[in-house]
Amino acid sequence: MELSEYGLDIAAKFGEDVKTELINGNEIHIFADADNIIELCHFIHSNLGCRLLSVICNDERQISGMFVFRYVFGKESGEDVFFVATSSIDGKDICFPTLTRYIPSASLYEREIKDMFGLIPKGSSDQRPLLLHSWPEGNYPLRKDFDIKTKVQKSKDEYQFLKVAGDGVCEIPVGPVHAGIIEPGHFRFSTLGESIINLETRLFYTHKGVEKLAEQMPMEDVVLLSERIAGDESVANSTALCQAIEKIAKAKIPTKAAQTRTICAEMERIYNHLGTLAGLSTDAGFAFGAARLNILKEMMMNLNEKTSGSRLLFGVNRIGGVKIDLTDANKKMIISETESLGNEFYKVFEFLRKKSSFIDRLKNTGTITKEDAAGFGIVGVAARSVGIDVDTRKDHPYANYPSLHLDKHHDTPYHKMKYEVELQKRNGDALSRFVLRAEEIQNSIMLIHQTLRDLENEQPIWCDVGPLEPHLHALGYSESHRGQTMHWVMIGKNNSIYRYKIRTASFCNWKIIEQAVLNDIVADFPLVNKSLDLSYSGNDL
Amino acid sequence: MTNSDKNSIMDDKIVTVQNPTDMTGVSSGYRGKVVIAHDKVSEIDFENLDKTCPTHSFDFDKKSQALSVDHGKCITCDKCRVLSPTLIKIKSNFAPASKNKAGLVESFDVGTAERSYDELGKELKEKIHNLYGRSLAIREVDAGSCNGCEVEITALNNPIYDIERFGIHFVASPRHADLLLVTGPSSRNMEIALKRTYDATPNPKLVVAVGACACSGGIFGDTYATTGGIDRIVPVDVYIPGCPPRPQALIYGILLAIDKKLAAKSNL
Repeated sequence: MELSEYGLDIAAKFGEDVKTELINGNEIHIFADADNIIELCHFIHSNLGCRLLSVICNDERQISGMFVFRYVFGKESGEDVFFVATSSIDGKDICFPTLTRYIPSASLYEREIKDMFGLIPKGSSDQRPLLLHSWPEGNYPLRKDFDIKTKVQKSKDEYQFLKVAGDGVCEIPVGPVHAGIIEPGHFRFSTLGESIINLETRLFYTHKGVEKLAEQMPMEDVVLLSERIAGDESVANSTALCQAIEKIAKAKIPTKAAQTRTICAEMERIYNHLGTLAGLSTDAGFAFGAARLNILKEMMMNLNEKTSGSRLLFGVNRIGGVKIDLTDANKKMIISETESLGNEFYKVFEFLRKKSSFIDRLKNTGTITKEDAAGFGIVGVAARSVGIDVDTRKDHPYANYPSLHLDKHHDTPYHKMKYEVELQKRNGDALSRFVLRAEEIQNSIMLIHQTLRDLENEQPIWCDVGPLEPHLHALGYSESHRGQTMHWVMIGKNNSIYRYKIRTASFCNWKIIEQAVLNDIVADFPLVNKSLDLSYSGNDL
Repeated sequence: MTNSDKNSIMDDKIVTVQNPTDMTGVSSGYRGKVVIAHDKVSEIDFENLDKTCPTHSFDFDKKSQALSVDHGKCITCDKCRVLSPTLIKIKSNFAPASKNKAGLVESFDVGTAERSYDELGKELKEKIHNLYGRSLAIREVDAGSCNGCEVEITALNNPIYDIERFGIHFVASPRHADLLLVTGPSSRNMEIALKRTYDATPNPKLVVAVGACACSGGIFGDTYATTGGIDRIVPVDVYIPGCPPRPQALIYGILLAIDKKLAAKSNL
């Protein structure tokens, strides 16, 4: 089997010091000591061709006296496998080696660990605080000895932005309170004339302590919490959480539950993509298109309400399955309403496609390069818009996706070649993201219909997941409309959550906006921002 | 042209809610608010109920055997109904906004706010006119929300709800605003920004807390990272419960805020 092959590869390089273990079906855990963990990560990244998906720090001083680091890598082409490189440092140590030397996208994770655990990434060039603003040293929320109710006095806020100086360079600070009805965040533009020559984002204004909160809650309440990580990604996040716990329990959920998750996930994708397309139309100053797309979004939210009792699809998932039992009537309603929505959407899209003044605003605006996209490890539509073909639904199928025909581009060698050529052509501008989202809406409708046709009628919608053994852990993942969502759960005593590490697509994608706006004008910023569709709350946690 | 084309949204037609009865047709499965069946209170296991509720929204007075629910905390997650389906029901009409926190606590189902979106809107328009003689300018402030409330507030501007026809518009700066619509539990990181936004809004100003988080901290509670409700930072005129409140609930809450201002004016 391939998995042992990887084991051999790693053993050949690192000798007997490195132990490997396969758990949860597709997670290869590799244990190394702090001296060679960075080389091991580098090896997995460059030799095995994997992407860094998350860095998880965990205070396991109560279990083993150590702080444990897990670097999660994923294969993205054809093989459903994750590599989790694991090392630990003594509970009394305060330094851990930095990975940024080889993988720049590790920087944000390391800054997060510094804030939340008080551990210092040795050798990293960027050690500024990230999640906690005006926060005095000595208080580290994710350490087990930190009480969640602690109120910490604000210290003086001295965040260092990159200084851009020179003749005619002008600095524009924007936010955290923005002009539209959007979430808070700070943007620091440096401009020369109208052109943006540098942008620095400072986020985490909506940090609500979600990961710490999960450790205090009964497990079933954490599902409710996960729905509110980002209100518009409720199905994606709660699916990822539930799947992690189900994997730990080795529970196989009923087919109908898996199907319901897929249907709701695609409904979520449709209403959010519609919202993004409407936003793009608004930001390009084209109210007619925005109005039409907003009507469609409202249609979709009404359908959400009729299906799940919530306009935002809250209350779909539970551990072991789902809470909503789709009836024949639901089935008919969803099919007919999404069908007419699809027809209407096609008309709106064809109309927008022909409006040259609208298309001109999107074309070559907010362009990202394939190199940057790969370096920052971005995911979702943004990655696909530069031809990086990543999609968790295909790469690591979950819920009902294994039984759906997702990769129709690969049916024949000809189709495959044609698709490869198409990927090459995508140039990463706002227009390519616009078109991709439109295609995904139509594709989602198809997936919903396909799933509903096969819907198991007389099946239970959940299965019992018994009490879980402490300290078992698993990855849970899904593809939200923004991209890959990667969660990791470790069980604690009395069926509680010991550690819940959340990484949404936005955490990977926020940094790319700083590259995307370069050489665009300030007035294009809203358009670029909307085309990337980033969540603040999902990023800030 | 087929028949179905005639009803296309691309044609000239009005999609905005016109007929008041249209909007009362909220789907029966919508989780609007928790309602207590008071004749069944005798079967209560309060300890269990309190433990089940993730936001501890219930209160039980043993002496008078009165059970109450605080809509300002409730996130309509349905867990209480699953626990005791005879005692607790979830109804599709939303829990109405209130001028004070105590008003969010409901021990009886009083059947409020069953008026349609359109009726509410027309009343609102009249009152705004009486009060300001012009339209009402709203500044939305996200103080750490999950973006759920923003999705619903954005919906107010879509062609279906079209709030501008009632003389309400959203402005880009607090300096142009009459009313602040604040969402989120106020995260610690937004505390200063919220306070400054409030200070930058000219008097007379109104503040409306939107959603369970802004009313009470909601599921995020009161922790190192949150403040447990925006009234800990700025004075609040009206609380709109819900997780998130639907557009009808939002407009009802804004109407209530105007009412409060009108009442204050007539007392002068």
